[in-house]
Formats: sequence, structure tokens, C-alpha cells
Amino acid sequence: MSVLDVSDLEVYYETETAPAQAVDGVSFTIEEGENLGIVGESGCGKTTLAKAIIGILPDEGYVNNGSIEFEGEDLTEMSDAERRRHKWEEISMIAQSAMNALDPVYTIREQIVEAIETHRPGTGRTEANEIVAEMFDLVGLDPERADDYPHQFSGGMRQRAMIAMALALEPSLVLADEPTTALDVIMQDQILKRIGEIQSDINSSMMVITHDVSVVAETCDRVIVMYAGKIAEEGPVEEIFGNPYHPYTIGLKRAFPNIRESDQDLLSIAGYPPELTDPPSGCRFAERCPMATTECRTTEPEPHHQGDLRTYCHYADEIDDGFRSRADDPETWRDTEAARSARTAAEVND
Amino acid sequence: MSKASFVVRRLLQLGVTFWAVGTVLFFLFRLMPGDPTAFVVSAQMTPEARQQVIESYGLNEPLYVQYMRFLENALTLNFGQSFHTNQPVREVIWTYLPNTLVLMLSAFVVAYILGIVLGVLTGWYRGSRFEKTTVVTALTARSLPTFYVGLIVLWLFGATLGVIPMSGMGAAGQTYDSFWARIFTLDFLHHLAAPAAVLAFYYMGYPLLIMRSSMMEVLSQDFIDVCRAKGLSERAIMFKHAARNALLPIITAAAIALGYAVGGSVLIETVFGWPGLGREMVNAVLRRDFPVAQGTFMVLAATIIILNFVADLLYGYLDPRVTYE
Repeated sequence: MSVLDVSDLEVYYETETAPAQAVDGVSFTIEEGENLGIVGESGCGKTTLAKAIIGILPDEGYVNNGSIEFEGEDLTEMSDAERRRHKWEEISMIAQSAMNALDPVYTIREQIVEAIETHRPGTGRTEANEIVAEMFDLVGLDPERADDYPHQFSGGMRQRAMIAMALALEPSLVLADEPTTALDVIMQDQILKRIGEIQSDINSSMMVITHDVSVVAETCDRVIVMYAGKIAEEGPVEEIFGNPYHPYTIGLKRAFPNIRESDQDLLSIAGYPPELTDPPSGCRFAERCPMATTECRTTEPEPHHQGDLRTYCHYADEIDDGFRSRADDPETWRDTEAARSARTAAEVND
Repeated sequence: MSKASFVVRRLLQLGVTFWAVGTVLFFLFRLMPGDPTAFVVSAQMTPEARQQVIESYGLNEPLYVQYMRFLENALTLNFGQSFHTNQPVREVIWTYLPNTLVLMLSAFVVAYILGIVLGVLTGWYRGSRFEKTTVVTALTARSLPTFYVGLIVLWLFGATLGVIPMSGMGAAGQTYDSFWARIFTLDFLHHLAAPAAVLAFYYMGYPLLIMRSSMMEVLSQDFIDVCRAKGLSERAIMFKHAARNALLPIITAAAIALGYAVGGSVLIETVFGWPGLGREMVNAVLRRDFPVAQGTFMVLAATIIILNFVADLLYGYLDPRVTYE
């Protein structure tokens, strides 16, 4: 059985005009022990998705439709109290910002013990302290420093403390939202390795949200590429980055420098994601896609399955008829509507 | 720097501040127009008798000698005798200060407890009707002068409904063994209720509005999301985490506001005929009663200075990030 089975999930935010459809019809599963990456540019619904799963949407956010099944139980149907019991014990999170994710006025120990005592009321002080010491050891922090306040830790240490707290109750699923964004690459590497080790120890699954493709490549088994609240493409890491079918994935991949082909032209995807209060009726990427046709602008694409890859593009089946080579060429991307208007704007400014 | 050396250094600063305030007060009153002896020395006195009185107060000596004597006496908390009643200033302060403190502190405690709790709730339930009504009420309370509200209260509850006394601290003719015996009587509480309520209503708006905006700032921080993700109860998040963090700016504000409250007691004491230090201070200035004016002003300055010091210490205790440097 999957640890997590999200189906047809819609998460909306109330705004003064129409609701913003931040997550729209997203379906995926996470298997036991599996690591799933979610990539996409800012504002594409990654964080909203994670907040909906763990149950911490802000007041104006709500699940409009769909289900989030955790080990067979639908989280969206649960009462608040039931839901609260699942939090941290079953699904925990490593928050986005290492700097502000811990309460500044309590020691790290107090904050970890608080999580333990909330979910396991019978736990004695000694036992809770043992867990703290053990977790500190696991993440590579000196257990003696558990009585420090967050501000006495460096950024890297804080992130380790956050990870220690997230894994203290050995949850089945950990949501890591940009777990290493605040860290330098060396620290990032160490921390990702450490998370991986602990995770295989306690056999938990993880959902890693990031816009850094290298983090996904290092930690994940499968990847979902999100665009404007929808899944653009989903599949195993090697296939998504080796042999993608969706023009957005291809563009995204080519927007990151490749160490083996360092003289390669970097590509930029001109324009911005669409307004989510009034999303386009066809493919959401059509406006910025150099290959878009009338069909793309009017009809929503059905998923195209190719091996383990799931692609939401009308032309996924024509990928080898010159479609991929066109999408892989930076020149093609200079020829979109958005790219042309960006150039015109730049010239006017000159 | 250690906490101990921080305290010592701040205490030294405190001494310097007191000296500066004392000096300013000393010269300020002597620069004011008007002859201080006019009230004590009667017009029927012979010039010799008059001179004698002036000498007995030390007013014939050069200013710097007077100043040195003032400093010397101030060290032993001796502010001289009232020109008006011949009572030692210390006694005058001792008579009136407790009355002011009882009134101010009871109003203050009520105002800050209510203000902080309402601030937490309005910050938490942002956008609700409860929040909007409370904020409008708080702003109104802040904008209405206390003497105005005081007069309306006196007119409505005192003159019209007759449920509160019109003036003073107790029924006429009552005597008590001590200050404490007096303030624990129903009669005293009956007199205290109206002025304290009017003041509390006025003071409440400040902590409420600070707490509300401080709460909203704290609630937008990432650690609140983590608290929610940890499955903590709503109450634990609201009070243990959000309010605890939001409380920090209130501490300094409260200490300073309390200092000013003791000084700002003049209006309310006048309206409700409350025999407090504020009223006495105004009278002393009007009578050119230097020693009493100096003494009462010193007490007010000391309240503000000492409370600031207490706020500094409290802040270090409440916020582990504060270092003593």
C-alpha cells in the first residue's frame, strides 16, 4: 500500500475576486521508503501542496476537491483532533527556512520534547531527553548543546536541529520544503546525505520540494514537475532529467548549467506563470511554450504514458519526430510571444 | 559581558542620570519668575524679620552654595522643608505618593492584563467582527482625554445615578490606623472604582494595539507553521508560542508607560478629587514651593528611570537573544 495517495487534489485560496487555484487536479502516490521530488518555479503550488498534506493551510486556503489518503485513511475527512494526532507522529516537515523555523524563546530541547510530549503523553522526562540526545547524535550535533537557544546555532546547525526534531517521532512521511536552500553546497551535501541515512534507518518516505534540480537528483527516486498548480510531468529521476517529454521539463533542465557541457548555451523561459485566479482553459504552459498550437490553447492535455513517465502534453507522442530537438534548442525559446515582448520592452527601455 | 557587570554599569549610569535630572530641576525652578518667599513672608513683617526668614531657608546664600547643599541633601533623600507648610518634603511625598500609586497601579494592572489578552485574541482572530469592534473601541479609548471621560462618568454614575462618590478617597470623617488598613476597606474600593476604571479604559488601548500588531508579525513567521505541523493545540500555539514571542515589545512599552502614568496622574486626580502626588506637584509649582516641587519631580523622574532599568533587565530574562553588551 502506498504511504500517501493524493488524488485529484484541488487547493484554492480565497481572494477578493475569484479563488486562486493554487493546486488543481493533482494526483500522485508515494510508496514506502520512496523519495519523491517536486520541482517547479516559485508560485507553482509546491508549498501549498505540502501544506495541504500536512494540514497547515492558512485560513484563506482550503481543499476544494479530491482526497489525500495517508496509509488508507483520507486526511481531508478527518476531524481536527484526529488530524492533529497524525501530525508529526506520522507526517512531519522540515521547514523552508533554517533561520526562522524554530521558536527563538525556547531551547532546542524544549521544542523537541514538546513534540514528544504532545503525541506520547506517557513519556517521562528521562526518556524524552534520551530521544533528544539520540537525534542530536544522528544529525551530527553535540547532544550537550541541546539546551542552547536557536540563535546560538549557526544556520547549518539550526537546519540539523530542525531535522532532528522532524525525525524524532520516526514519522512515516517527511515533507522537506527547500531543506537546504539556506546552506552552502558543502553543508547541503552533508545534510542531504545525513537525511538519507536516517531515513533508511527508520524507513520513512520523503517528499522533497525544491527548485534546485541538483537536490532532487541527489535525493529522489521519482520527480514531479509542477507548473501553475498542475502536474506537467512525472516519472523516475533518470528519465525526467535524461529523456523528458514535456517542453517545460526540457526548458527547465536546459535552464540549469550542465557541468559536462559547460559551453552549452543556457536557456531562459520567457514570461511568467499565468494568473491562478483565471487560469487558461487549455494547457497552462501554452502561453510560454514555443511549440504551442491552437489545440494547446483550447484543450487541456490528457496524460500521455511512456514507460514510467506521465506527461501532460498534446505532442508527447510526437516527441521523436523533431519535437524534442526543437524544444532542446535555445533559439526556439527566443521565438515565443513572451520572449518577443520582453525584447521589445528592453529595446524601448534603451 | 556578564550579567553582573551589566547591572553594575547600568546602576552607575542611573546615578549619573539622577544627578543630571536633579541639577536641571534645581536651576529650572530658580529660573522661574516670582519670589518664593512671597508666600511665607507676610507683608506685615519688619525687614529684619523678613531677612531672618530668608536666611533660615538658606535663600540668601549664593546659588552654587545652595546647589551644593541641595546635592548633599539629595544623597540622603532629604529634599528640605516645604516653604508652604514647613513639613519635611519627604513627609509630603510619603503622604501623597501611596495614594497615586494605588490608583495608578490598580488601573495599570487591569489595563495591561485586559489589553494583552485582547491584543492576543485580536491578533489571532484577524479579520473577524470581534477584531474590528475591539480595535475601534481601543482607538476611541486612546483618543478620548481622561478628564473628559472622567467628567462624563461622574455626571452619569455619580450625579445622575448616584452609585459612585463624587470625589475623594473615602467618606468624610473616617480615620484609619494605617494606609493599609484604609485601602482594604469597601469604602476605599468604592471610591477607587471610578477613577481606576476610567484610567484603565484609557491605558488599555496601548498594550492592546501593540500586542495585536506584534502578534500578527509573529504569526506570519515560519516557526508558527512548524508549531501547527507539530500538532500542538490551538491554545498552546496562541499563548505558549505566539503570545510569548509577541510579548517582548510590550515589556519596554509597559515600563515606560507606567513611569509616565505616575507622572500623568494630574488630570484624573483633579477631576476625581484624588489626593495624589500629581495634584500636589501642581500646587507646589503654583506656590513657588521649591523644595516640594523639586522633591515630587524627582520622584516622578526616579520612577521613569528605575522602571526603564527594570525593563532592560526583564527583557534580557524574557528574550534569550538579548546579550548584555
